[in-house]
Amino acid sequence: MNEVDPDNRYDLNSSRKSFLGITWEQALKGLFGGNALVSIVVLGLITLFLFKEGVGFFGQYRESLSLHRQSGLEYVELIREELDSFSALEKYLNSIRSMQSEQLTAEGMEFKEIKATLREDEEFFYDFEDLGYPLREYVLDSNEVAIAARDRYEEMLNLRVHRSNLIEIGKTQEAEALVINDVDLEQLFELLKSKETDFIEINRKFRQSIPNIIEQAPLYENTELAAKMSRFRELSAMFLEELPGYEASLLSWDRKKPIGIGESFTAFVFGNKWVTNSSIQDWYGIAPLFLGSLLISLIAMIIAIPLGVGAAIYVNQVATPIEQTIIKPYIEFISAIPSVVIGFFGIAVFGTLVREVSGWEALSWISFFPMSERLTGFTAGGLLALMAIPTIFTLAEDALNNVPLSYKEASMAMGSTRLQTIIRIIVPTALSGIISAVLLGFGRVIGETMVVLLCAGNRIEIPRFSEGLGVVFEPVHTMTGIIAQELGEVVNGSIHYRALFVVGLTLFVISLLINYMAQKIVIKFQISRG
Amino acid sequence: MSLVTDKLTTKSLIETGELYSEMTEINRSLINISNFDFFYGEKQALFDVNMDIKEREVTAFIGPSGCGKSTLLRCINRMNDLIDVARIGSGKITVNGVDIYDDRVDTIELRKRVGMVFQKSNPFPKSIYENVVYGLRIQGISRKSKLDESVERCLKGAALWEEVKDRLDTSGLSLSGGQQQRLCIARALAVEPDILLMDEPCSALDPVATAKVEELIHTLKDRYTIVIVTHNMQQAARVSEKTAFFYLGKLIEMNATDQIFMSPEKEQTEAYISGRFG
Repeated sequence: MNEVDPDNRYDLNSSRKSFLGITWEQALKGLFGGNALVSIVVLGLITLFLFKEGVGFFGQYRESLSLHRQSGLEYVELIREELDSFSALEKYLNSIRSMQSEQLTAEGMEFKEIKATLREDEEFFYDFEDLGYPLREYVLDSNEVAIAARDRYEEMLNLRVHRSNLIEIGKTQEAEALVINDVDLEQLFELLKSKETDFIEINRKFRQSIPNIIEQAPLYENTELAAKMSRFRELSAMFLEELPGYEASLLSWDRKKPIGIGESFTAFVFGNKWVTNSSIQDWYGIAPLFLGSLLISLIAMIIAIPLGVGAAIYVNQVATPIEQTIIKPYIEFISAIPSVVIGFFGIAVFGTLVREVSGWEALSWISFFPMSERLTGFTAGGLLALMAIPTIFTLAEDALNNVPLSYKEASMAMGSTRLQTIIRIIVPTALSGIISAVLLGFGRVIGETMVVLLCAGNRIEIPRFSEGLGVVFEPVHTMTGIIAQELGEVVNGSIHYRALFVVGLTLFVISLLINYMAQKIVIKFQISRG
Repeated sequence: MSLVTDKLTTKSLIETGELYSEMTEINRSLINISNFDFFYGEKQALFDVNMDIKEREVTAFIGPSGCGKSTLLRCINRMNDLIDVARIGSGKITVNGVDIYDDRVDTIELRKRVGMVFQKSNPFPKSIYENVVYGLRIQGISRKSKLDESVERCLKGAALWEEVKDRLDTSGLSLSGGQQQRLCIARALAVEPDILLMDEPCSALDPVATAKVEELIHTLKDRYTIVIVTHNMQQAARVSEKTAFFYLGKLIEMNATDQIFMSPEKEQTEAYISGRFG
């Protein structure tokens, strides 16, 4: 025991208590440091996990696309394109018929009379439809052959894996007993190729009979119907002109052309189809989802930026203290509403309301009104705006608050009005802070899942930007939505599973970029203030 | 201009001022404060202040911290209006005979006549040029020649022209502390005020920069009426003609600066300037 001399004030050895040689201070430091470390490690693990699960996708997708080519499915698809455009012709023809019957109804004709009137022209319509049967049959047959080839090939691959698994666990006898029939895709494809002459024959018949049949087309007195019919003639002529193109693309199609990893990448990034669990071929193209997410986020931001920033300027610069104490918590409270509740509100109230408003007589001059869908990009975007407003508001208000009071005083002291001070001094000074607030709001919106899943309509198709503003009122699907919707049902490790991870990775990268940009802008802001 | 009571216009002030100085050497009183009480919420900050501030003189307000000298200064251009709880108890302030707390007075017009320079230099995060012309731009003046002319005149007036004439496009924040403060003075001059209120303009500056600003004040007083709040009694002695001593919200004594520093009438004044408290 050391005798402590109370008079010796210069015994400078530490008198702080320690436990196992660790003082409180060190323990606290360790605790805080540990917390920081855990967050970093967790973030790193998430990133790694996303990469690990996602990165295998491109290889798998490449294999899938290769098999799609080698089994002849791609070949069949080329033929199917011709069938699709023939079907479009049929559809157009049907629309003429239904238009005719509608007009007759409008003229006050009885159902029986209409039927009788239509029967006169029936021959023509049936004849035209009959023209398509050989092609339809041909596509169905070819498709079956190709699918069978692919399935047999896949079965062979599976059995091979099974066998090597068996050998690995030592069951060599069972492994040897497995009968694996080698599948020669090339041979199977020859079956398809040998029938190519049939296809040429079908096209020859088209060229022969379509002009003949069209001559029998009914002549309408009604100008609208007549116009449609002459348009149909044009379309038919165009179809005939396209025929050699289909034949040429079949001929030039090369079964052995290899698919590289780059092609599988572009097929993912620019692919316009996201089709899963298809009996023919699964497609994983992120473009419709990415554009859907982007469209919804843009709608949300267009609504949220003026509201959020405007409210921030009002509360920070104009409002009385009483107004401030009311408005601020109220707006911030919006972010406390669970997103599923907002989505629920969107389905039950907002979507219906928008559709009803679009049906108003006063708005009928807008070309895309009235709208048929209740759940659209606009519905989801409008609700997401609601969720982005608190983020934008709070951060923009902070940025405005950071503008030194002395700027405001200086401006006011020179005889500028409150409005001039806000527009010329305060907002420009806080601008980078406001921009970063907007960016973070965007990040919040693009990552939101529940609302878009419930309210966006979930149609996987590239939004038709060619329709102008009407694109806003189309149902779309999103990156976040597709993950939430499909990840629960996929087989672990399957190509679909990995595709969803790559979608997640894309989202992750987008959010990361947005946050990075927001931070950069804020740093620039701090420097500019000296 | 019609927003303000008709008497209070720049033109009339300048004209009467010029006329006046031709007629007589004795400056007339431009700012008159009578029986002025002022409150922040429940707390009274100024008690029954009475004073006359003469045209084209430098008047210094001195006193210990919290004595109300800055408060009074900010009442003269109604900057205290920006504070929600601030209110006047009684009394009035007139500038050139106009009661500035009259309901008809537009504070915007008032502040164009009564400019202000702050304790901490606060140029806007804009170019030097834009800083100076800000006051003109908000009045809707955008003719380049007029703005250029004003920039040169004001920067010369603030003794800054020679130092910055080659870099008017650089940020006002890139200047040194003393230059920034002179830029703020130039900016205040651009709106052509008659009165300049200076709230401890040198408290954040080093002695060399301080000397420059003081020199500037000397040249400015030929054209402007200047009221300066300072903590530095030597500064008050150097730059001002009149000095007012405040203590605990009351005007204790106001007199010619020499008088105050040589032979103050009140005991408190003497105690303060001799350094016994403060």
